Amino acid sequence: MVRMGKLGLGLSLAALAATGVMAATVGQVIDARQKGYKEIGKSMKAIADELKNSAPSTAVINANAKVIANLAPKVAGWFPKGTGPQAGVKTHAKAEIWQKPADFKKDQADLVVAARQLVTVSATGNLDATKAAVGGLGKTCKACHDSFRAKDD
Amino acid sequence: MVDARAARVRLWDWPVRIVHWSFVALVPGLWLTFRAGNMNLHERLGFVMLGLVLFRIYWGFVGSSTARFASFVKGPVSVATYIRGLFGKAGEPVVGHNALGGWSVVVLLSLLAIQVGLGLFAQDTDGIVSGPLTHYVSYDAADTARDWHELVFNILLVFIGLHLAAILFYAVVKRDNLVADDRRRQAVRRAGRRAQLRAAVASARRGGDQCRRRLLDRDRRAAVVRHCVGERYAAFRAASLPSLSIHSTAAAAWIAVVS
Repeated sequence: MVRMGKLGLGLSLAALAATGVMAATVGQVIDARQKGYKEIGKSMKAIADELKNSAPSTAVINANAKVIANLAPKVAGWFPKGTGPQAGVKTHAKAEIWQKPADFKKDQADLVVAARQLVTVSATGNLDATKAAVGGLGKTCKACHDSFRAKDD
Repeated sequence: MVDARAARVRLWDWPVRIVHWSFVALVPGLWLTFRAGNMNLHERLGFVMLGLVLFRIYWGFVGSSTARFASFVKGPVSVATYIRGLFGKAGEPVVGHNALGGWSVVVLLSLLAIQVGLGLFAQDTDGIVSGPLTHYVSYDAADTARDWHELVFNILLVFIGLHLAAILFYAVVKRDNLVADDRRRQAVRRAGRRAQLRAAVASARRGGDQCRRRLLDRDRRAAVVRHCVGERYAAFRAASLPSLSIHSTAAAAWIAVVS
């Protein structure tokens, strides 16, 4: 009975973690998510800034691409149920994230692939290929934003 | 008859017209390219806008009389007097911008300058697309520039709305079509001179030699006016021809830089 109870508690905790988060932590989850995206955004800007120089350094781009590539797989964990527009906390996350989980997952996977691609390509020092890979990465960001991020600030 | 050549001296010079109607095309164009997510074209159109705004400011110092800021930016007393007269009986049509309209030009042009300036430093969400000068500012500053770029666009819309409302007000209430340009205005002025002449002719017929002499004086004065207007027109042409080549060179250089 005791063991069963522990198992039950364990199961319900797992269910809670899988299906949603407690109200008190919704704000924290959203805050952490926004900080994470800002990290990605800052690296993205650093890459774009570098490309605006007369002689862009692929090494600088590579270093920032690594930051994005490290964060990209974590995106999957940034959207527990209950942290959408109904949460009562300001967020641009659309309800579609949870309505079309397969599409959202695909966009995340595309981001991971594109970020790794940029890391690989920028490591070779080929500027033209790096530019193309930056464009590819930007497209995955945009694709997901178009479907799953509310536009107005 | 009095000043047939004066009719050829336009109220608004060609650069002013081209710049104004380009703004009319560019503002919706810039909005549409943004909505469609075509930021590449948005940026290119933004460069055209920047060039035109800079040119218009420059032209405000060297352009023809009605294009110059010095000719239409009036002090608060003139503006107040003009506003008081606005709701009274119809007065003489103003040649060029009126005291209030002059400030409308200043506000609209300033807003366009601020807007296009902000665009240079703005980036979209997460820095995916960014203006050409964003590498000079921080991530947060580029985000702020975007927020202001949105805000100033809305302010611009308000003033464009006011601009259109004013045109409608003049057309309906003042019965003065500001859009159907200077032709009517020149006609009004010509008609005024013709009426003066007719009155002179009529009084000459009624009266004797004295009045005829006055009529001759008037005719001579008209000839002088005609001569002066012609001279000024010739001077304008002479001044604008060499500067035309300077400006087209500058425009070509601008296109080369941004493309």
